[in-house]
Amino acid sequence: MVASSSAISRRTMIGGAVAGAGSLALAGCATDENDATGLHMFRVGRTPDDPNADVWGLAQPFEIDLGPQDMALPMRLDPAVTTVRVRALHDGTTMGFLMEWTDEDTNDLSVRVDEYRDACAVMIAEGTPGDAARTMGGADLPVNLLHWKADWQRDVDQGRQGLDAAYPNRAVDVYPPLFDVAPADVDIDAYVEHGATNWLPGVHAGNPISVGSRTSPVEKLVAFGFSTTTHLPTQNAGGAGMRTSTGWKVCLTRPLAAVDERELSVLPGASFTSAFTVWSGGGRDVGSRKAPSRTVHVVTVAP
Amino acid sequence: MAEVFNWQLNRMMQYPYEESRPIRQAAAIFDTNKCIGCQTCTLACKTCWTSGNGQEYMLWNNVETKPWGSYPLAWDVRELELLGPQHWDGDTYGGKTIFEAAPQGERNIAWKPTDMDYSYPNRGEDEVNVTLTSKRYHLKLPHDMWFFYLPRVCNHCTYAACLQGCPRQSIYKRPEDGIVLLDQERCRGYRVCFEACPYKKVFYNHTTRVSEKCVFCFPAVEQGIQPRCMRNCIGKIRSFGFLSRPGEEREDNPIDFLVHIRKVGKPLYPQFGLEPNVYYIPPIHVDSNAFLTMLFGPGCLDSIEAYKKAMNGEDNELLAVLLLAVSTDQIIHRFQLKGQTVEAWNEKGDKVVSMPLKVPTVERTPYDPDLNVYRYNIT
Ligand code: SF4
Ligand code: SF4
Repeated sequence: MVASSSAISRRTMIGGAVAGAGSLALAGCATDENDATGLHMFRVGRTPDDPNADVWGLAQPFEIDLGPQDMALPMRLDPAVTTVRVRALHDGTTMGFLMEWTDEDTNDLSVRVDEYRDACAVMIAEGTPGDAARTMGGADLPVNLLHWKADWQRDVDQGRQGLDAAYPNRAVDVYPPLFDVAPADVDIDAYVEHGATNWLPGVHAGNPISVGSRTSPVEKLVAFGFSTTTHLPTQNAGGAGMRTSTGWKVCLTRPLAAVDERELSVLPGASFTSAFTVWSGGGRDVGSRKAPSRTVHVVTVAP
Repeated sequence: MAEVFNWQLNRMMQYPYEESRPIRQAAAIFDTNKCIGCQTCTLACKTCWTSGNGQEYMLWNNVETKPWGSYPLAWDVRELELLGPQHWDGDTYGGKTIFEAAPQGERNIAWKPTDMDYSYPNRGEDEVNVTLTSKRYHLKLPHDMWFFYLPRVCNHCTYAACLQGCPRQSIYKRPEDGIVLLDQERCRGYRVCFEACPYKKVFYNHTTRVSEKCVFCFPAVEQGIQPRCMRNCIGKIRSFGFLSRPGEEREDNPIDFLVHIRKVGKPLYPQFGLEPNVYYIPPIHVDSNAFLTMLFGPGCLDSIEAYKKAMNGEDNELLAVLLLAVSTDQIIHRFQLKGQTVEAWNEKGDKVVSMPLKVPTVERTPYDPDLNVYRYNIT
């Protein structure tokens, strides 16, 4: 069910040969509404980056049950969030998902040692629902992830959140080697400007979690099984999250066409496998402590 | 779960990965009897590795006063409480390790500190074991009351809890020297490691949002130089070197000698099951054997006897090795006692120490006619 792109041979396309493989009932015959096993990705004029855009109303919502993460250690056996409402659409170039769930606490910082962020993710996978999508992919079955993080959202909205957000009254004498910078003004950018990032090991190592300024709250990743989640080199995912009166409303977007190696292209008129996950920072959810969808879903893409 | 041998527990135990010991293990022995709580080690580390924005509360090296001191707050009491009852059958540990006591869905028991638990690094400093109001105390020996300093760094454990806890395998143990490192590029700040380490020696960087830990000054160690906290120790309590694999001990290796031959170096909380590689010579003046055994395991009382013998001039070889502590910046690989002189060599075979067991005393006349001054210090 995989056809190689001639332009970039190791990228993978979802669709194309799917019907020939005959492994998916819905493959290649996109319907125009959600059904019991999957959701429909509706075609619209333009995929919005705004979770409040009216156009989301054109996509039929799909209620997805979330359950415990009981496959990999450490587990989350009593998930804080048990259902998420998902809508999907595309405009021929970009696809988007809207995820809405209930979570009364806002957890949009991860500065203190005991502070964990709210987050959500969409998995995009080839293969049938029974394949490695439940195990975050496999050695020969990469899965792609779009991962929205509430702390990244706050970084985008208000600038990189640092010590000021957690400890506004702290007193520090000096941060070597930035002897000419007032301690209150020391941030990641100051270290970068002074060529002193080796005082910030995560920044110095180029860790995507540590970067000083962000333009998107959504990260694009690839995985080949548990423990393998990897930041993709081209970060062209978009989206935004906002608080509602009861929880979060988040949209996550990405071009249909793959750019990076082992990234999966999605073709209009075809279908792919997906899963959805929510993390509740108030319950110390992080990494594998999460609430994943109980079953894997087929997404049929409107032509 | 694999079955691995933990020599400190004298039994097999469960661990997620197969037994895979490094060729040699970077290790240290701290003589608690000599520590003066000056915190020079803490500062040596702090100024070298953790003076950055986001690292304010990090103390890869800290010195706490026992019995009351702790950093983070009551770390050991809380871990022991979670672990439940522990007991030793002779040299064999009969309780559960933190891995064997893991609740469903977890790899280990784990106390999860909040940031408030890191707010009191000097809690209990210099406090004695009893309240001073209950009885009148006069200066006498042996002590009615006691405290001692416990300097702590990452133990670069053989069965590291941080390493097995990390779901991304961002933490690894180097096969060449057993140093446990946390990959700053791979870590995503899940903090399972900081929960898993019972010694609480992994720290979360507020600014980079990923975790960090002691690196045993590996760039220095790779050049045959001791870590900074060891080199700077004012009390000269710290011996650093390489521990051989069990069964491959060398009598002329100071670390093997202290841990395996004379058995004076004892692990801290061996019952956790991590086979930690920082060893302690227990304090000789503490009158609670139960407390010492809880901290250092069942062999600690023999260790105290062996140590006293050396101090009483009945074991010059042990005295010689103890005197090598912080006598050079170089990592000592071999030592020899020749008469009343101890000599030591680095890995290349260069002699780096030659030192008498007893430093000769020179007595000077009180009056110096050249300078026309009287000396107060004449020895
Ligand atoms: S002391 Fe803690 S941080 Fe250090 S190796 Fe052991 S488990 Fe890991
Ligand atoms: S430098 Fe040495 S004597 Fe001073 S506190 Fe540290 S271990 Fe103790």
